[in-house]
Amino acid sequence: MKNLKPQDMGKRTEQLVQLGKLMDLPAPYDQPGMEPPLTVPKDAWKEKHCTTLDGYVGIDTLIRPQTKAEEEQVVNSFLSGLAKIFSDDVNRNFLQPLVLSIKYCAKCNTCSEACHIFKASGGQEIYRPIFRSEVLRKIVKKHLTKSGKMLGSLVGADIDINWETIARLGELAYRCNLCRRCAQACPLGLDNGLLAREIRKIFSQEMGIAPKPLHEKGTMLQLKTGSSTGLTKPAFLDMLEFMEDDIFAKTGKKIKIPVDKKGADILLTHNAGEFMTWPDNPAAFAVLFTEAGLDWTLSSDMIGYDNVNYGLWYDDVQARRVAQEQFKVAKQLGVRRIIIGECGHAHKASAVSMDRITVGEDKIPVESFLPLLWEMVNRKVLKLDPQKNNFPVTLHDPCNVVRMMGVVKPQRQILQAICPQFREMTPHGVNNYCCGGGSGFAIMQSMNFPEFRKQVGSRMKFRQILQAFQGSMDPGTPKYICAPCSNCKGAIRDILEFYHTTEKFNIHYGGLVELVVNALVDIEKPFLEFLA
Amino acid sequence: MILLVYIYFSLFIFVFVSLWKALKYAKMPMHSRWELYPVPKETGERAKYGGSYFEDYQWWAKPREVSHVGELKEMLKEMLFIKNLFVNQRPFWWLSYTMHLGIYFLGVWTILLGVGALTEPSGLPSFIYYATLISGSVGALLTALGSIALILRRFTDTTLRKYTTPQEYFNLLFIFAVVITGMMVWVGDPGFNYGRMIMKGLFTFTPFTHGGVLTVHIILLGALLVYIPFTKMSHYVGKYFTFHKVLWENEPNLRGAKIEASVRKALSYQPKTSWSAPHINNKGN
Repeated sequence: MKNLKPQDMGKRTEQLVQLGKLMDLPAPYDQPGMEPPLTVPKDAWKEKHCTTLDGYVGIDTLIRPQTKAEEEQVVNSFLSGLAKIFSDDVNRNFLQPLVLSIKYCAKCNTCSEACHIFKASGGQEIYRPIFRSEVLRKIVKKHLTKSGKMLGSLVGADIDINWETIARLGELAYRCNLCRRCAQACPLGLDNGLLAREIRKIFSQEMGIAPKPLHEKGTMLQLKTGSSTGLTKPAFLDMLEFMEDDIFAKTGKKIKIPVDKKGADILLTHNAGEFMTWPDNPAAFAVLFTEAGLDWTLSSDMIGYDNVNYGLWYDDVQARRVAQEQFKVAKQLGVRRIIIGECGHAHKASAVSMDRITVGEDKIPVESFLPLLWEMVNRKVLKLDPQKNNFPVTLHDPCNVVRMMGVVKPQRQILQAICPQFREMTPHGVNNYCCGGGSGFAIMQSMNFPEFRKQVGSRMKFRQILQAFQGSMDPGTPKYICAPCSNCKGAIRDILEFYHTTEKFNIHYGGLVELVVNALVDIEKPFLEFLA
Repeated sequence: MILLVYIYFSLFIFVFVSLWKALKYAKMPMHSRWELYPVPKETGERAKYGGSYFEDYQWWAKPREVSHVGELKEMLKEMLFIKNLFVNQRPFWWLSYTMHLGIYFLGVWTILLGVGALTEPSGLPSFIYYATLISGSVGALLTALGSIALILRRFTDTTLRKYTTPQEYFNLLFIFAVVITGMMVWVGDPGFNYGRMIMKGLFTFTPFTHGGVLTVHIILLGALLVYIPFTKMSHYVGKYFTFHKVLWENEPNLRGAKIEASVRKALSYQPKTSWSAPHINNKGN
């Protein structure tokens, strides 16, 4: 649709936008044929889901209604949830930031330039952070305010509220990584990311609609089995045994991983996805913690072995339930502190977002692993040889660790100490760009959503990666993207596979602790497999 | 006399509703932490590169250090210069800042008119006279220029036009109209004597003489003062909360910390209603 406006969200057209020319990528991906063309949605998806926004389906549980009555039910349910997010009874946790962000937008459009999705899409109107917010604002004006009811379009209450509007808005809430880079740029301190999240909350908490990987196979599965991966306690314990054998094979070190050690100083928690997909990461933690002589433990208790909290992205109630269980595990073990491993959103969930759900004896301090790791490197507790990491290394900053938590320096100090060819991405630190996997995108695999993630969501990150390695693209030189976060790793893995970057240009990815273990003097073989 | 009462009324509404709004935000329930770095009240270099106390090993065992000076500095940069817009969108900043700077000058001018009204009986100091003259004329010109430039920019820029509502044009036009009528009065009284006369009238509750244009100007200005706090032009209130109480609010909830009592109180709240999705009241199923 030409000259698209927020008001058009309610129009009954087949698809509001069709993505075309995306942001250019740097060399060598500036040549034709380096990227497959974008696809169109299948007819079956069009019939069953909402493809009328941009052709992609992010919410696989959002089903197109068959009757007028069903349509009305969805709209009414949304409007009921809309009223609730402004309630000081059920949305106390976000009422103040929400009201401020809804009321004071000056429409200066500064947020657009900060958004990696808007830029990567080639400037598609619907991906402007203000576009989504303005649709929500118009619905709020029309449905909840007297001025909107009396003055209509004069005060911006000019939007049709029908199933298409609501469904598109729901989908659009899943075209934002909640990275909050736009909020950093806002002269009034308003937060489009927060508004996207509030829309997701209405869908989940009121309408019972959320992407399966986040809800049914995410928080619900975690609360039921202990992990969103479905990993059960016996399987977890088996995995640790396997890991001990693997550590011995790789490093020659015989390590007994402590589990459920009562009264330990540290409870180390990992994203359970690490055990399943990147076991070298928890293994590296085990090597380093043992080497440093720390008094630590893992937990095999329900939820204690998985620190993820997908509720953070879409549902306050689920977020709180998961966090409560996780904190309970630490308390029962009687540990002095919780250390969060390489998972960005677990950092934010445990240390920041859920900081105010426990008090008194239930309150166990939460720390990032990064200051501890820097302490170990800086105090030379570990014997390290930086020459073992003498290849180009760049650092991806997980948004939840830097922008949302302010942990910026320790990871750089570590890399500067152990990687002679470390180079920053541009921009970096708190001004970084999201990997494109943030807020659940990394695990949302339904229908054509991965295409959106890989070619639009992660595009800016891919550009940054390529720029960081310009001058070192020779396939004979191994290169490493250090991404100390499971979801970020997942998103980066997918773009490297999609663009065949590893096979063509020898670019690899992984965590930070693996690099530290790789630099250990007393390990003969490289710990990083691509060096072997 | 009616006009005098009208001015008192407008000022009262402006101050009262602004304060009431601030109080409303201040009394809202404690929200979940939602900070965003850089947070200027972090100490030293951290405030610049966006670091926080979480960078300290065993941060929770160390005394909490907060830089109120850093916070104040950043706040002033934002208030006085609209720093974020300057950094992130320079072309728009020129227009917006022109108008805002004009309003700041007019604020100073108002204070100077008050000082002038108080000192006039014993002889108006010349620096007050000239400072009034400069602040008033610069303020009026900048505000008029900025507001009309913003209207034109919004109207001619295809993207901004999509997001600008009629009310938002009206707001800018309203400001422009007030300043233009003020400038029309000023043309007949370049020394702003009428302003000091009104101030004297307000201080002593004495009616003042007023011609047609001045009457129109006062009616419009009063209406604007009444209108502003009810609209998003009251962002002078909202902005304090978005930064200080949301983006820069990173007070950790530690055992025995001052904030713990507030957290305890917030946690004791029992909602009277509930969300409707099936999983909300049916945990884990």
